[in-house]
Amino acid sequence: MFVEGQGEHLAPLIWMRRFMGQYIVRRLLQSIIVIFGVTLLSFLTLHLAGDPTYFYVSERASEEEINETRIKLGFDKPLPVQYLNFLGNLARGDLGMSIRSRKPAIELVMERLPATLELTFFAMLISIVVAIPIGIIAATRRGTAADGGIMLMAMFGQSMPSFWLGIMLIIFVGLQLKWLPISGHVAVIQPFMDGNIAEGFGNIPDAIRFLIMPGVTIGLFSLSRNARLVRSSMLEVLSQDYVVTARSKGLRERVIIMRHAFRNALIPIVTMLGLEFGFLLSGVVVTETVFSWPGVGRLVTNAITQRDIPVVQASVVVFAVLFIIINLLVDIIYAQLDPRIRLR
Amino acid sequence: MNATRLRLILLISALSLLVAVMPVLAQTPDENTLIIGQSVDVGALDPASVNSRAEANIFFHVFGTLFEIGDDGVLRPFLATEYAISEDGKEWTFTLNEGLTCHDGEALTAEDVAYSFERAADPANAFTGNTAGFALPAIGYQGMRVDGDLQVTVLTDRYQTPNLRLALISEVYIHCKDSYSALSLEEAGQNPIGSGPYRFVEWVPDDHITLEAVEGYTLRPTNFQTQIWRVIPEASTRVAELIAGNVDVINNVPPDQIEAVNASGTAQVQAVAGTRRIYVGFQFGENFADAPGYEALQKTEVRVALQYAIDVPTICQTLLGTECERASSMVNPPNNNPNLEPYPYDPARAEELLDAAGYPRGENGVRFETVLMGPRGRYLNDANVVQAIGQYLSDIGVQTTVDIRDWADYRQLISPKEVGPMFFLGTGGGTWDALYDMADLSGPDAGTNYTNWNNQEWFTRWDSLADIRDLDEERTVINEMLEIFYNDPPWLMLYFQPDFYGVSNRLNWSARRDEWIVIYNATLK
Repeated sequence: MFVEGQGEHLAPLIWMRRFMGQYIVRRLLQSIIVIFGVTLLSFLTLHLAGDPTYFYVSERASEEEINETRIKLGFDKPLPVQYLNFLGNLARGDLGMSIRSRKPAIELVMERLPATLELTFFAMLISIVVAIPIGIIAATRRGTAADGGIMLMAMFGQSMPSFWLGIMLIIFVGLQLKWLPISGHVAVIQPFMDGNIAEGFGNIPDAIRFLIMPGVTIGLFSLSRNARLVRSSMLEVLSQDYVVTARSKGLRERVIIMRHAFRNALIPIVTMLGLEFGFLLSGVVVTETVFSWPGVGRLVTNAITQRDIPVVQASVVVFAVLFIIINLLVDIIYAQLDPRIRLR
Repeated sequence: MNATRLRLILLISALSLLVAVMPVLAQTPDENTLIIGQSVDVGALDPASVNSRAEANIFFHVFGTLFEIGDDGVLRPFLATEYAISEDGKEWTFTLNEGLTCHDGEALTAEDVAYSFERAADPANAFTGNTAGFALPAIGYQGMRVDGDLQVTVLTDRYQTPNLRLALISEVYIHCKDSYSALSLEEAGQNPIGSGPYRFVEWVPDDHITLEAVEGYTLRPTNFQTQIWRVIPEASTRVAELIAGNVDVINNVPPDQIEAVNASGTAQVQAVAGTRRIYVGFQFGENFADAPGYEALQKTEVRVALQYAIDVPTICQTLLGTECERASSMVNPPNNNPNLEPYPYDPARAEELLDAAGYPRGENGVRFETVLMGPRGRYLNDANVVQAIGQYLSDIGVQTTVDIRDWADYRQLISPKEVGPMFFLGTGGGTWDALYDMADLSGPDAGTNYTNWNNQEWFTRWDSLADIRDLDEERTVINEMLEIFYNDPPWLMLYFQPDFYGVSNRLNWSARRDEWIVIYNATLK
């Protein structure tokens, strides 16, 4: 219990916690509204495609069988009732059975989620780890050939469609040079989840080989964008008074860049992280198909072509929840770093 | 040496090491491993629930069947040694090989065969797919009777010509009772316990399935110790893996990549005329009575005239990337009527017949207008073929509007027969018996009679087949029926869809016509 006068030095901390708590609650409520919207949209969009009963019956089914199936699955009920049933089931973690495999849709999604997360995080790693140094180099050597070259490559990186880039990598790096495997996947997260720690660690070198091409395919756009962002951010910071002061004090250039300028230049990058994750997650849909990557992107692509409604809905909901959680975490971290954010 | 230069040297060294290591990373199959790349994954691994050709290809190696359809279309004993038919033709008794076992060591007896049929047919299991949804209903399945350790009888409600019945029975995968009755449906769908030449090792969904040769299996050769069935959905990736030597066999090579495969030096494309029958259906259903062209298309003379309007060989060459012969009927060769010649491409003759049928060209050059519906994304280059057919018809004055829908939407219209007045479709067929192909038109109300064709001469003969035991007599009736089909065509007959398989040069293997990838007998060159 806080006793007046005894812990005045703790007051700012308590104040921060209270506002932080309010901020988190506010963001959580916003997230719930967003999730509700996502479920409504995914439900409606898929029903716009027509009577879903036909997805559950064979081409040879009679009208009688079709009607029976319609009643059995509840598709004869009004849409609002169907939606309420959908929400009720969702609350119990039941997103229905896959039409194709007859397994719970959520189970199919969760089985493939580790592979998708491996790819997404690897792509994210590439897009940050490579983007930062080349962005700094471009900024600190503004106007030089290095700067021009980096910006030109960044422009190419943002212009190339990912499916085309993927196929080009397969042809040149995989097929002609034979440097990397053309397609396939070696699991890392799944063995850890299964408790096979040694296998998980042992798989990492192979997994990286399989990850490079799809990771670059997904991550190149973000890498290019981040490099441009780092460059512009660094240029802005480098012209600030405190940097000029640091230089006039005789500090070494490396110390000025890394300790003073870069830290502040990082803020816009951190802001982008949450959105970046969502962007990369959406990129896996095409890339997983091109590289035969057994993730949620492939699952959702197949489910769409086969009109496997429960699987599409489960995938959309899981993707949305993941995106919202990551953004929530980023926002909380950001609010911790910059108190101005939580007061807005 | 300053720090910058040192860092540069270290970076170059690391990159060089990476590049040096990379060439050894590409993995090619060893001499004991065969890798097959299919475009789709299996949905489940329950032997009673086969829903696609991709699943059947794998099941065929894991499970035995009483009989099997050879690559020449001939039916041969597999787990059974022989069969006998009861006098009324409704009971088919099979004798099993001695000493059969399932992969878990359980002895495979007549009781297990009976269980395999009963389990598939059990409504409580609600299996869909080929066995429960097609094969068993098609034989008029009534039940099973165990006559001894090695003798089991399939009870049906009707006689059926042997090739047709054996082919249908060959689609029931045999598994052991004790093994499967201990599994839940979900467990059975994940861990198949087979009775065929290869045992199941692992399934990584959307990635691969690994099978391993069963030691001492005598009914089939197992030339490779391991089979890996990879899932590679993207066609260009599949082709790249084949050319790189990472897979031995792939299906669905796109026609535009055939040259690249053949020029690679590591693989060749095998093109085969498949058994899938591609046609344009004429809709007779009255719900299309107001549709443009419906009235004209009810006339036999008009439908015959349109047969002459389509240049099928050119469509095959330009749009499918191969030569193909035009179909003369709905039945796959060699079971078709040998006296029927495919309609030639003769637009002048088509125009002549349309004039005679009372549909001369109007002042605008149009005889009548109609609509041709077709899918996109189901059959080889389907949308372009539909466009070409529409143009050929317009060229002879039948002004055709082409209505192409995505397959997922199009297939919704097929079951309720809401496609027309003309529609493009392909249906699977077989090489083992004409009646299998003709079963699409087993009745005016048959679910697969998508045109609602109702030629009584045809259906009377179809019904009479149930009483005919003499194969020559049966053949005579079949030929008559195919002649009726030819002269009063409910279909605009096109072609049997070509299939393209990419095969590694290290392999001796021939592709089959019926879309099966049967690989146990493949050998290294």
